[in-house]
Amino acid sequence: MALIFITDDAAFTRRMIRKALQPGDNEHVILEAANGVECVNLLESHTPDCIFLDLLMPELDGYGVLQTIKDRQLDISVIVLSADIQDSARERCMALGAFAMLKKPPKGPEICEMIQTAIDKA
Amino acid sequence: MIKQLTTDQLDALKELVNVGVGKSAGMLNEMIEFRIRLQVPNIKLLTMSELQTELGARLGEDQLASVQLAFSGSFAGTAQLVFPTESAATLVAVLTGEEPGSPDLDALKIGTLTEVGNIVINGVMGSISNMLTQPLHYEVPAYIEVPVYIEEDINNLVSNKKTQQNMDILLAQARFNVEELQVQGDIILFFGVGSFETLLTAIEDVG
Repeated sequence: MALIFITDDAAFTRRMIRKALQPGDNEHVILEAANGVECVNLLESHTPDCIFLDLLMPELDGYGVLQTIKDRQLDISVIVLSADIQDSARERCMALGAFAMLKKPPKGPEICEMIQTAIDKA
Repeated sequence: MIKQLTTDQLDALKELVNVGVGKSAGMLNEMIEFRIRLQVPNIKLLTMSELQTELGARLGEDQLASVQLAFSGSFAGTAQLVFPTESAATLVAVLTGEEPGSPDLDALKIGTLTEVGNIVINGVMGSISNMLTQPLHYEVPAYIEVPVYIEEDINNLVSNKKTQQNMDILLAQARFNVEELQVQGDIILFFGVGSFETLLTAIEDVG
């Protein structure tokens, strides 16, 4: 069982990821954040195994969260899940220490496979 | 005075938008699992008032739901996904599994459509950005719903801090249909003419 954050301002996408990660049983503990600030606040009290992170969000965007994790030297696998398919966005995320980058819309099998790889790495 | 586009520039712009819209149609298809039919994009260089007339004629008298994403970088503007509200409601029902007309569907509508718009518009703009190797910065997407078309509503659709009344605008518009669902929508890109020169230069560089 792993602790996973889902950080996305779109409830629609949070629900899709949750559904992919919990197809019936409660295999993982999941906490949701609707923007980067909420995610960083959650990091004050929890150390997740993995974070699903959107890029374009109000308050604090995904790059800001990645920067915070990097600055604090936290060992967390961050899987960026974004609609931004620009090569420059991918390069910036990887430079900030993202574990992987997936494009929206999220696909269930891809999410499950990626989370397993991230947990195995941890 | 509006600068005229050459045939080659028009052709390149059309292809650029075509590839981008094709990519975003693929993303929409992944979400709803119905075939999306695309029309050839319509590319025009217009003044703001011509744009209002053009959009009014093109979008008809439907009540409209629109998701807008402003972008900036070496070129700037706004990209929009516009649906008649009936099409928007059908799309949300398909995506959420809720019954059309239910109160739950109404509550989910804005968030769901905003995310659909975000994904679809990023498909277009990201593809253009990658092809031209010009990184873009996006603002958080915004959802706007306007009542039955009148000129002021079109003003609301096209006006933001990146588009001003006296500005020349490159309009790139592509219509798509999901025949099985009777859903149709438009992907509309506005490039401010100042940044439009950069866009043309970037196209020449890769062409």
